Amino acid sequence: MELQKFTYDNRLSRLFMNATIFWGLIGMVVGLTIALEMIFPHLSGGISWLSFGRLRPLHTNAVIFAFVGNGMFTGIYYSTPRLLKTPMFSEMLGKIHFWGWQLIIVAAAITLPLGITVGKEYAELEWPIDIAIALIWVVFGINLIMTMVKRRVKHIYVAIWFYIATFVTVAVLHIVNSISVPVSLLKSYPIYAGIQDALVQWWYGHNAVAFFLTTPYLGLMYYFLPKAANRPVYSYKLSIIHFWALIFLYIWAGPHHLLYSALPDWAQALGVVFSVMLIAPSWGGMINGLLTLRGAWDKVRESPVLKMFVVAITAYGMSTFEGPMLSLKSVNAISHFTDWTIAHVHIGALGWNGMLTFGMLYWLMPRLYNTKLYSIKMANAHFWLATTGMLFFAIPLYFAGFTQSLMWKEFTEEGYLQYPNFIETVVQILPMYYLRAFGGVLYLTGVVLMIINLIKTAKAGLFVVSEEDQAPALHTADGHGKEKGHRLVESKPILFTILVLIAILIGGIIEFVPMFMVKSNVPTIANVQPYTPLELQGRDIYLREGCYNCHSQMVRPFRSEVERYGDYTKAGETVYDHPFQFGSRRTGPDLARSGVKSGPMYKPDSWHYNHFLEPQKMVAQSIMPPYPWLIKNDLDISTTPRKIKVMQILGVPYPEGYADKANDDLKKQANKIAQGLRDGGIQVEDTKEVIALIAYIQRLGTDIYNTEGSKFSEK
Amino acid sequence: MTTDKDHIKKSDAEYEIDTLTNKKLLKDHEYDGIRELDNQLPSWWKWLFIITIVFSVVYLIRLWVFRADDLIQRKEFDKEMANAKANAPKVETIEIALLTDATSLANGKETWTKICAVCHLVDGGGLVGPNMTDNYWIHGNTIEDLFNVTTTGVIEKGMISYKDQFSVRQRLEVTSYILTELVGSTPAVAKEPQGELYE
Ligand code: HEC
Ligand code: HEM
Repeated sequence: MELQKFTYDNRLSRLFMNATIFWGLIGMVVGLTIALEMIFPHLSGGISWLSFGRLRPLHTNAVIFAFVGNGMFTGIYYSTPRLLKTPMFSEMLGKIHFWGWQLIIVAAAITLPLGITVGKEYAELEWPIDIAIALIWVVFGINLIMTMVKRRVKHIYVAIWFYIATFVTVAVLHIVNSISVPVSLLKSYPIYAGIQDALVQWWYGHNAVAFFLTTPYLGLMYYFLPKAANRPVYSYKLSIIHFWALIFLYIWAGPHHLLYSALPDWAQALGVVFSVMLIAPSWGGMINGLLTLRGAWDKVRESPVLKMFVVAITAYGMSTFEGPMLSLKSVNAISHFTDWTIAHVHIGALGWNGMLTFGMLYWLMPRLYNTKLYSIKMANAHFWLATTGMLFFAIPLYFAGFTQSLMWKEFTEEGYLQYPNFIETVVQILPMYYLRAFGGVLYLTGVVLMIINLIKTAKAGLFVVSEEDQAPALHTADGHGKEKGHRLVESKPILFTILVLIAILIGGIIEFVPMFMVKSNVPTIANVQPYTPLELQGRDIYLREGCYNCHSQMVRPFRSEVERYGDYTKAGETVYDHPFQFGSRRTGPDLARSGVKSGPMYKPDSWHYNHFLEPQKMVAQSIMPPYPWLIKNDLDISTTPRKIKVMQILGVPYPEGYADKANDDLKKQANKIAQGLRDGGIQVEDTKEVIALIAYIQRLGTDIYNTEGSKFSEK
Repeated sequence: MTTDKDHIKKSDAEYEIDTLTNKKLLKDHEYDGIRELDNQLPSWWKWLFIITIVFSVVYLIRLWVFRADDLIQRKEFDKEMANAKANAPKVETIEIALLTDATSLANGKETWTKICAVCHLVDGGGLVGPNMTDNYWIHGNTIEDLFNVTTTGVIEKGMISYKDQFSVRQRLEVTSYILTELVGSTPAVAKEPQGELYE
């Protein structure tokens, strides 16, 4: 057989590698910043773009899409050509992919602190950036698929299966979840509302974890682990079963983020059972990783790379066991809305994604520079810093989550809440936040050591721009007819891609169609009305400031919540919420019923005014940051007509032609609120942003008690 | 770099053996030097998978076919509320009269600091709610008056009802605290008087 010569270009891997390191550092510094802001609420210094609600999305986007994203591309651009014995299809597309992705990250890093956000967790970026993401993702996909088409190896290896699943599914998730109608260049409303939006969003959110943080990294594991250990993969059969089971089952599990919410029971149940069924397929990956090290454990002791891989895979196993447990309703009733979730996330993030990335970088850098790692000792130190950092991060937060949840639920013998004042439950867990921040410092220190080590390594060597290799041309006809079953599919990458697409579409379709088509899933409540223009503007401020990062708007049907917050949230109450704002963490109390005057959450306008200006004036121990700019800034009402029009397009029943009258109503309502405040001795003008936000807060949860009829006179 | 050539043994025509684990390597499975073993699925893993599937089927049947009460959250909630009601202690009948003992006042102070101070300030000087240190009252200055305001609230003015949050005793304790300790004291900043002067 004639051997063909070809070369692998290492430049793209190197670019992505540098980006991984750079954005990893930035993302984690922002993480540490927000960890400190949770202890010292005044750290943001009254500067809007430094406030927790705006930086937290920056942190999550940076570590997920910039750190892990670039990490996966590093590995994919390195391993794919080698596994397929061909250069990447197009270096040009690769470069567009690289620079496009970095531009997207920069756009995110600018817009998020400015409060330009859709207000959906992990999908905060506004529509122009969303379109850019879709385009760049397709560029990546074309490059990946075309490289497979011109491969010299007949069968595609399991790592590539996972890359395909990543490409296909992320594309579907991103596009479906991001559909929205623009209000302006930097503002849009999602087409889904309320509980339906929540279902779509968590289908996306959960599978972002699955197909952005998990499947690509499993692919990397299948390449870099056997390489680094110099061992064969434990079981090909297991690869097949756990791959297909994983991608098929994962897509259904989203509703486990909405347990005990207003989502119908049948959909919640699907979230529960598909999560439980995910244990084995997930552990299939863990077993195949760990058992690949059989016969090589002596090497693990010496190699920081392998050590990191072992911790990464173990963390993967832990979080994929914990996840299904958190999906059981009885456990979720305790864990949801607490720091337990944050601890869980970070076992996955710091352990699985972080450690696998670090291990890969330590393995790759010396190879790209044709030299040895500068210091094994430093790498070992990094290993220990990262491992202890992770434990210092997670263990206190488990404790915090559990403690706070029990306090929320505790009743006195007379049948009253033991801790009716929310802040008591916050103060109780503050020490845990100190420990978490300390864990973050350790972890970050490790990263800094790594960066030094990697730079010194690169300096000691010479960059290998390209590597030569040779292989016989692909004869697809070889052994034709003899192959059956999965082996056959492995030799047909396009078919493989289509099968993956089918597997990941089923779950979503079965959950969405009834939710959108069957009316009884979102029972109508007659007195629920659209927001007034002022409230709508106020709501957009709520989104802009990222209040949902700390406050939920979803009272669950538990006695402890109904006593603390008011009646539990009904699906029909959320129908005009584009986007929904259920939130996922209660750093502060739930706000779903904060406008209900007869309810336990009610506060007068003047209280809210003072509270936004200086929360600690109203609640001495509060960890909420101040929002002085809301009191200084004038509300931009030029956007009102267009906002009303877009809402009408989305089916919100404002009277015909209301867009043009909306600002009259807005001004009237603003004047009423501001006048009330002035009567109470607060000097404030009608035009300030804070007035709109107060209007929104006072509207929350009130509709089901409203007996006054329509708010929109058709004059 | 390829999978450790030293540890591969050709057994017969069909298979090669990985000598470190003594397991079969798959023929023709080599990707950039990475080989794959022909190991079976661990049986505990298979069982784990089967058990979770059985669990799921049973779970869904219980909900969809048998409408099991514990899987329908509306019913779960009703049950929890009914239980709470059934187990609620009898409403204590205590006389609405000023409490003066140290424990009651200490309890009252605790409630005041944790809950009421948010609007009336810790020292009672008043902010969102009125000043409690002067002798001006909107709703009267007797213990009954204060107790009633705390119980029913003045909703349109922003003082909520504490009927469902605090027991009768707790409400009495905190209002007694106001009358015995706060009235007549000097707050850091006093809000201007509201209501009428009671001598
Ligand atoms: C959310 C703010 C807020 C909180 C919290 C609050 N109050 Fe008030 N309170 C007010 C306001 C406002 C008024 C004035 C009502 C009026 O104008 O009629 C008031 C009035 C009162 C009055 C009547 C004063 C008078 O002049 O007649 C009493 C007594 C009182 N509060 C007790 C309490 C107690 C006891 C608590 C804690 C259990 C409490 N308040 C918590 C806002 C609050
Ligand atoms: C120095 C390291 C890090 C620190 C100090 C840190 C800190 C934080 C903090 C304070 C939050 C918000 C918690 C809250 O809202 O209560 C958070 C959220 C989050 N972080 Fe990190 N983080 C770090 C690294 C990472 C990494 C490496 C990843 C992923 C690769 C990651 C993924 C996430 C995610 C997904 C969330 C959102 C969790 C949720 O919504 O429930 N973090 N982090």
